[in-house]
Parts: sequence; C-alpha cells; structure tokens
Amino acid sequence: MSSNATTKETAREMLILLGAVARKQYILLRRYPVNTVGGLLAIYVFFALIFFGGRAVAGPAFDDSLDSLIVGYFLVTMAFSAYQDLAGNVMTEAQWGTLEQLYMAPVGFGRVMAAKTVVNVAFSFLWGGATLVLMLVTTGRTLSVDLLTVVPVGVFALASVVGVGFVMAGLALLYKRVNSIFGLLQFGFIGLAAAPVEAAPVLKLLPLAQGSFMLQRAMTGGVRLWEFPLREVGILVAVGMGYVVVGYFVFRLLTRRARQRGVLGHY
Amino acid sequence: MRSPAASNAARETIRTTRPETNHTDHDETVRSDHTDGERSNHTDGERSNHTDGERSDHAGRPETREPPVIEVSNLTKRYDEVVAVDDVSFSVEQGTILGVLGPNGAGKTTLLKAMLGLLVPTEGTVRVCGIDVHDDPERAYRRVGATLEGARNVYWRLTVRENLAFFGGLAGESARDPAVKARHDTLLDQLDLLDRGDDVVNELSRGMKQKVALACALARDVDVAFLDEPTLGLDVESSVDLRRELRRLADERGLTVVLTSHDMSVVEDLCDRVLVVNQGQVVADDGVTSLVELFRTSAVRIVVDGRLSATTEQAIRADYTVESWETDGDRTRALVALEEANDLPALSARFVEGGGRLVSVNTVEPDLTEAFLQLTGSESTTRGTR
Repeated sequence: MSSNATTKETAREMLILLGAVARKQYILLRRYPVNTVGGLLAIYVFFALIFFGGRAVAGPAFDDSLDSLIVGYFLVTMAFSAYQDLAGNVMTEAQWGTLEQLYMAPVGFGRVMAAKTVVNVAFSFLWGGATLVLMLVTTGRTLSVDLLTVVPVGVFALASVVGVGFVMAGLALLYKRVNSIFGLLQFGFIGLAAAPVEAAPVLKLLPLAQGSFMLQRAMTGGVRLWEFPLREVGILVAVGMGYVVVGYFVFRLLTRRARQRGVLGHY
Repeated sequence: MRSPAASNAARETIRTTRPETNHTDHDETVRSDHTDGERSNHTDGERSNHTDGERSDHAGRPETREPPVIEVSNLTKRYDEVVAVDDVSFSVEQGTILGVLGPNGAGKTTLLKAMLGLLVPTEGTVRVCGIDVHDDPERAYRRVGATLEGARNVYWRLTVRENLAFFGGLAGESARDPAVKARHDTLLDQLDLLDRGDDVVNELSRGMKQKVALACALARDVDVAFLDEPTLGLDVESSVDLRRELRRLADERGLTVVLTSHDMSVVEDLCDRVLVVNQGQVVADDGVTSLVELFRTSAVRIVVDGRLSATTEQAIRADYTVESWETDGDRTRALVALEEANDLPALSARFVEGGGRLVSVNTVEPDLTEAFLQLTGSESTTRGTR
C-alpha cells in the first residue's frame, strides 16, 4: 500500500474510532437519563448555592464579581468533566477489565486514548455549555460567547488538564489506590482557575491558569482571539500542548511499567 | 511462581516423578512423536474419543505443513527473584485448539498475558501470524481476539450489538458496513445470541455474558483467540454450547485457540493439544490421548470379602505396586498397578490364598486428570477415590 493510501486508511480508521467512542458515550448518557440529568443538576445546584448564598451575604457587591464567577465555574465544570472522564475512566476500565481490551485495540492504544480524549473534551464542552446557559438564565447576566474565541481557548485550557489526567491515569494503573490525590487535584483546579497570572506571570505555566485568564477576558471583556497579544496565545498553546505531550508520555511510561509488573488490568 | 534457586530442584522433582518415555526430545518437556511446532498426534486415533467425529482433518483442510500461527521462543517473565514463566518455547499450527493446564499459580495466565503483550517479558519473543507481538503489537492485534479471566471483557451497560460495534470500531471497522454487520449477525447466530442482540449485557445470564465476550473477541474475524478460563462459572449446558462453538470455529474457520482451564473435561473434550505448565515451565506438550497413554499403567481395583492378614498385605506390597489398600469391615479394597496385564491371575491368586473371596476385579482407566496430577507432581487422588 502506498503511503498516501496508508494515510487515508489511517484517517478512515481514526474517524470510525472517534465515532465508536463518541457513540458509546452518547448511548450511556441517553440510556441512563437520571444519572445524566442528576449530574447536571448537581453542578447547577452547587452554583445556585454560591450565587444565592453570596448575594444574601454580600448583597449587591457580590454582583461585581459575578461575571468572573460564572466564567470560572464554566471552565472548572469543563475541567472536572475532562479530568474525570479521562483519569476516572481509566481507573474504572481497569476495574472492569476492559482496559486490557482497549490496550489490545488494533488501531493502537495511543489512538484509542487520543480518541477518548477528544470525545471527552467535546462532551465537557456540552456539559460546560449547558451549565453556562443555566447560570446565565439564573443570574440574568450576559456574557460574550464568541465561539471562535471560547472554543479554542477552552480547548487549550482543557488540554493542560488532560495532561494532568494522563499522569493520574498512569499512576492509577501502577499504584491502583490514588483516589485521595485524585480528589485533591480536582480542588486544585479551582485554585488554578483563579490564579492571579497578571500579578505573577510565572503562574501562566500552571495548568488551566493561562486559559482561565484568557477566557475571563474573552467572555467578560469581549476580547476576541485575534485581539490577544500573540505572546499570550503562544503561552496558552505551548502550555496546553506541553502538558498533553508530557502527560501522555508519562502515561505511556507508567503503562509500560504496569505491564512490566503485570498489573495493567488488575485493580 | 518460584525463585530461580528453586527452579532446578523443582525441575528435577518433576522429571523424577514422570515415568520414562521414549519421546523426550526436549529434556524437560514430555512431548510425543511430533517435532516442535507440529500438531501433536492429531491423528484419527487420538480424536476417536470425541463424539463429533469431525476433528481428524479439520474440515478437510489439506495436510500440507504451514508456518505455525503462534511461535513462542524462550519466553521468560521474572518478577525480581520470582520466575513466573521460565524459558517457555512452543508453537501452534492453524486450527489447533491448545489447552494450557496447570495448578493455581503455575503461570498460565502470566504466560497468556505475555503472549498477548499485556506483560513485558524479561526475555523471549512471541510471534502471532509471523508478527512479533512486542515489536509490532498493533499489527499482531489485528489477528488476535482475547478474553481474560476475572474480567468483564465487554461493557455491561451496552447492548450486545453495541459492544460488537464498539470493539469493531477499535479495529477501524464500521458497524454500518454491510459486510461487518453480516459478520456480526452470523456470529450472533452461531453463538445463539441473535435474538438477544439488543439486550443490555448486564441483563444477560453469566453464560450469555461469556458468549458475548467471546463474540466480541471473534467479531473481527481474527485468526487466533486467546481465552482465559472461558467456561469458568458456566453451567453445564452453556459450557457444552461454548465448547461446540469453539470446535466448530476451529474446524470451519481454521481459528486457532489457546485456552486455559481448570476444567479437565473441557480440555479433554475440546483441545487438540495440551500444554501442562507447572512452576512456570512447560512440563508436558502433547495431545490429550497421548498424555493419558503416557501415564497408562495396567492398574486394577480388586475387591475381596475377608480381612487379609498384615503378612499377606506386606507380601503383596513387596511384589506389586500397591497404590491404595483399604479395609472396611470384612471387605478389602486394593488398587494395584501391574507391569503386565498377564500378571492379573497371579495377583488375584495372592488375594485368594490370603483368605479373601474375590468380589470384583476392575481395570482402572487413566484420564487427563491423572496425567495432569502426575505431571505437576500433585498427589494422585482420582484413582484412590474411584
């Protein structure tokens, strides 16, 4: 087969793989509606508690920071979803015994993980989008939601979270019981989303921080993607991709270590 | 699993407990008159004890020798000081159903996982359809399906068909492709799952779930299936169904199957060839019948009325190999191995001369369980209790 034909075949297989992974996720969301709606409701109720509680305590002054709160909550919701869907899912698959089947996927374990990541991030946007709508309706606020800006910034912000998710997934394969760190990192995302990157630019190198900063400016200040300084966009892309690449590399390393120790599918 | 230091001692133990054979071209492994990689005595004779009667020629496939579908060379897996798989080499030809037997902790699952690339071996290579599983796993996995023990292997919250579609997707196969859909239909039909195709797996019985796992492993028209304890937990009917399907797939599709099982009847009934693993090593590699024959001795169970004296018992023990001797009230039961079948009249006479009245004399037929116990150095219990 020529290299052109091979590339075409690989692309075709990747599309089918993406379709299969997305379809599975969609089926499960649809088949268990109570779980799906319950999850969304829990996220919304938590926001409502913050919103109404904050207003009751702080009064109208609370509204000054409301837009930032909504954007931060939107991003953290997506981050939780992307992180949990990746790291949590690998742990679950290991428990079920389906992880070894994924490892033996003829298209390659790496591509399966890549497909799962893409689908997870896409579904995270759905969750985040639904939450955003509910938040805007509840608060009566208006934000700038330019998809050409929000989606790329969100994707690269989540990419850094995915990188962390890969590391956690690898650790889970090797050490099995990592739930405490797993939960701790989730709280860490809240802090990272609120990191003062303007005051301390070095914080831009942490996951989520630069994405959160840019998303705030885009959604509350109406800044478009092309209106950001190139340097800021470069940092966003480099940090996002850096975390994904390093995270995936660590994941593969830990997977190999798990295979050496014979614990890939054990839990 | 054991330490390397124990390795040689264990090897010696296994060798000495094994009767002399005239076909040990490998010093450690009991192997019949076939060369490494050839199908063992898969001759009509060996398969004559199988009821379907169609196993002798694998549906008329030509007898020409083809390259082995599986080649395992010097496979070793060490965990620190513990050797789980110890320098294992063998090969398997197309259409063969190979049973891997061994006591708990013998290294069966480790061997299977190392063959599948789920474990990184310390040494050695595994080739499936000529492809090195560790160097080029993705190509190798295109030819392989597997179900692993203790694992769900499939998604219980998806339906049977959704599982097939998902696992097909992992190979870049679209379930919308009419050819793929037709293959799924055929497979479901063969496994008697056609009318359960739209059922969520969680709602199916354990036997059905096992069949779904098998269907997913075979959904891609693979050449080799690795099945770890495929009949574990199945009721008799489901187990028989599954065996029949595997046999048919091997015969009609030329599917090569490597399975592990604790169930001797599964191995005896289904497998063309048996690999007995003990302490990480292959201690026997042969056809079922050949293994049984290897341990065939002319053993007889003699029952006499009357309590024989200790002197008589000692005298018989001195001249014969007495495997068991029980006295129950006024009845004596003995299991005695004979070197020659012609020795039976003389043996019977000794019991009568000792004051006993013959009630029955039965020849004891060996089976795979007996062969397995002897090969793994376990205490033989089957003859003693039958």
